[in-house]
Amino acid sequence: MRGFRRGLKIAAIGLALVAAPVAAGNKLIPAGQPVAVAKSVLTVTPSVEWNRLSARPGRNSESWTFDGDALNDLTFYGGIEPEKTLFREVSKRNKPLPRIKATMLVTDIPTLVENSYRIALDTPLFTVEGMEPMAFAGKPGIRFTYSFTRPNEDLPRKGEGRGAMIDGKLYLITFEAPRLHYFDSGVAAFRQVADSAKL
Amino acid sequence: MRRGWGALAIAAALTMAATPLAAQEKTGNKPGFTLAPGTATIVLMRPSITVGAQSTGGSYEPNADWTDQARENLGNALAEAQGRLGNRVVNFVEPVGQGAAVAHEYRALFTALADLVQTYQFFPGNRLPTKKRGDSFLWTIGAEVAKLPGVQGADYALFVTTEDHYGSTGRKLLQLVAAGVGGIGVSAGVHKGYAGLIDLKSGDLVWLNADLAMGGDVRTPEGAVKRVSQLLEGFPGKPVETPAAPPTATKTTAR
Amino acid sequence: MAAWMIAAALAGAALGTGASDRLAPLPPYGAAYTPTTVDERGLWQQADEAERDLRDSPAVVRDAGLNGYLGKVLCRSVGEDRCRGVRIYVVRAPYFNAFMAPNGMMIVWTGALLRLRDEAELASVLGHEFGHFEMRHGLKTFRRGRTITDIIAWTGVLSPYSTLPVSLVQLHFAYNRAQETEADLLGLRYLAAAGYRSYAASRIWERLMAEEDATALGRKRRVTHRYAAGFFASHPTELTRATYLREAAGAEGERGDEARDTFLTAMKPWRAGFLADQIKLNDFGGSEFLLGELAGGQWTPELLMTRGELYRERGNPRDLVSAAQFYQQAIDSGCTDPIAWRGLGLSLLRGQQEAAGRAALKIYLEKAPQANDRAAMAMLIGEGGVQ
Repeated sequence: MRGFRRGLKIAAIGLALVAAPVAAGNKLIPAGQPVAVAKSVLTVTPSVEWNRLSARPGRNSESWTFDGDALNDLTFYGGIEPEKTLFREVSKRNKPLPRIKATMLVTDIPTLVENSYRIALDTPLFTVEGMEPMAFAGKPGIRFTYSFTRPNEDLPRKGEGRGAMIDGKLYLITFEAPRLHYFDSGVAAFRQVADSAKL
Repeated sequence: MRRGWGALAIAAALTMAATPLAAQEKTGNKPGFTLAPGTATIVLMRPSITVGAQSTGGSYEPNADWTDQARENLGNALAEAQGRLGNRVVNFVEPVGQGAAVAHEYRALFTALADLVQTYQFFPGNRLPTKKRGDSFLWTIGAEVAKLPGVQGADYALFVTTEDHYGSTGRKLLQLVAAGVGGIGVSAGVHKGYAGLIDLKSGDLVWLNADLAMGGDVRTPEGAVKRVSQLLEGFPGKPVETPAAPPTATKTTAR
Repeated sequence: MAAWMIAAALAGAALGTGASDRLAPLPPYGAAYTPTTVDERGLWQQADEAERDLRDSPAVVRDAGLNGYLGKVLCRSVGEDRCRGVRIYVVRAPYFNAFMAPNGMMIVWTGALLRLRDEAELASVLGHEFGHFEMRHGLKTFRRGRTITDIIAWTGVLSPYSTLPVSLVQLHFAYNRAQETEADLLGLRYLAAAGYRSYAASRIWERLMAEEDATALGRKRRVTHRYAAGFFASHPTELTRATYLREAAGAEGERGDEARDTFLTAMKPWRAGFLADQIKLNDFGGSEFLLGELAGGQWTPELLMTRGELYRERGNPRDLVSAAQFYQQAIDSGCTDPIAWRGLGLSLLRGQQEAAGRAALKIYLEKAPQANDRAAMAMLIGEGGVQ
């Protein structure tokens, strides 16, 4: 049968595309000040300090962390437009990601995250645990929780997202961490940041 | 975590670069932490040991004989070194059933933690601002680790990881040729490892010693002894030994 | 039972040289084998480590019924002597793949179980993988693979250096073309000896080719099924494969069991989950083709609903209209799954048909009061307030 041709190629592509020299420049996000994020009009006011990572998942997104993204990852998506993908595609040819549509309902946001992760990480182990309405930046929005495991790791992770479709664009904040200790220890800080979101 | 590739890229960059890295060998200590000899029980978790060859093309080839030899040699060397760490060391007994899955998850979490310490604290070009202040070394595996089946009765947990890819003759020749022809850096062989100590009351990482260029051929008993002594260098509370190794200043030279 | 020894003919199977209607008897099977050389021990150790990871992995489907069925088919296919000691793992991965490691561990991906049509096809896949194991192909490739990477390095192209931890991916048993062909032909001999319809093998490849073409078309890429494999392609292209398999099966091909019903019964509890994993791949062309194949002219309520999910997932304006139609057809033909009303409601809402959309979602909420998205759906129809 096809063997591991597929798996190895994906790994090689992923590595080749990202193996640029590591840029210094992880920035400190100070506590208590409003800050615009993800090169957009979305602003938040964190009550504790964070580190902003220099590597971005995509053009209108950015990530914060306390200890490094494998232990806590707070990511902002600021106004992703229709026909764009949630984050950078590794291979448009072989693994195209789903695209934002202007007609998307808030309930489609968790599915977009799920399918994007399933494809990008090459894993079927992604489950949306639940979703409920919750305002985001003062607009009708959604809160959802999820769990997933990266395929080459045995560390189950939990995630929580808050977002909305505003003027046909997607605004979203997610927090992910290993379910062992790190999710619980960081989620309160995430919720505070998400609650403070303004447009 | 779509950015999982970022961490791998860093790891790849670290192992591919031929130019010496400033952070080739580094130790971190939780500020103010001390461990007096004879005061604690330490549980040694099952070491993660990988030994194989690196072909000319750079791909890793497992070698079962070498890994078995290394496991035996390192096991003996660790057992012997344990007695000289100043405190009582016991081997972790792998639980059965559900406990095994939890132990597995903790092992994975520790590996993630140790990698991040090296990526975001030890590697100077990439440090996180909050980790840069003074002698800050605040890393934890979470206090719930005290409930892990098998660590009860111990005060600290010691994790050890070593990885060796012995460069083949072809690889070493390629290294010389590439350097001569175009000044291209080609690494030959991988010999890295780290050892870390977790305080079981708080889950805090109180000590981590990482080295990307370790010495000692782990396939031999003498080499394993040397490797273990490098892994456990600077171990908290270890009584001072008469130095047999060269002084710190020359550590980064080839061994 | 040595049923597999009976009824096998004497002439050898020719490699793609026209009809050979008699397949050679199976070779006698040796006692338990342990690795002897350094390379082989290294591979077994890696396979053992990977198996240890698999045992704890959440990606493995552990259901006793499903695993028992696969074991039964393997044993009928290759015989009790051969199947004893094989450990089968079903791994949740939405692609067609299966392989066997030199230590006796066999892995089947759920995407394969979704695409197989009957027990004969399943037997052909399992038998093929066992063929690699019986002929110890993994080791030979490993040795040759090392030499090839050496050559590549010396010509100045450094191969990518992977630092991925030990995992399934790292067991790179990419068999070369000759080995794939050998395993195919040995697999055919198993099939014939076990009384399965041996045309099953060639049909699988024909469908896989068509699905790949459909995927490429859906992504506006060129379709690429050529007759001869490229230099570095490790598998004979599926077209070559389908052809020689059909020829080697020869006149015997059409006789024998398919056991379609037994197979479908065993897969029934799993289909919905496998289909859901497939839809989430964002492969419109391939998924549409696959659904059509599974329907085979007879669209069941489950498949209609899944088609609705597929179109709604792509979500272009015309897709939403089509999706609503498919969901409605599913409902009309007796679908009882609340997901059908949910999909219908969401498609209509996005297509600006508010009243009809809300009505459908209302029915969804009545049918699935414990759904984990209940509150969100209620908000969409104006029943829950926005917080």
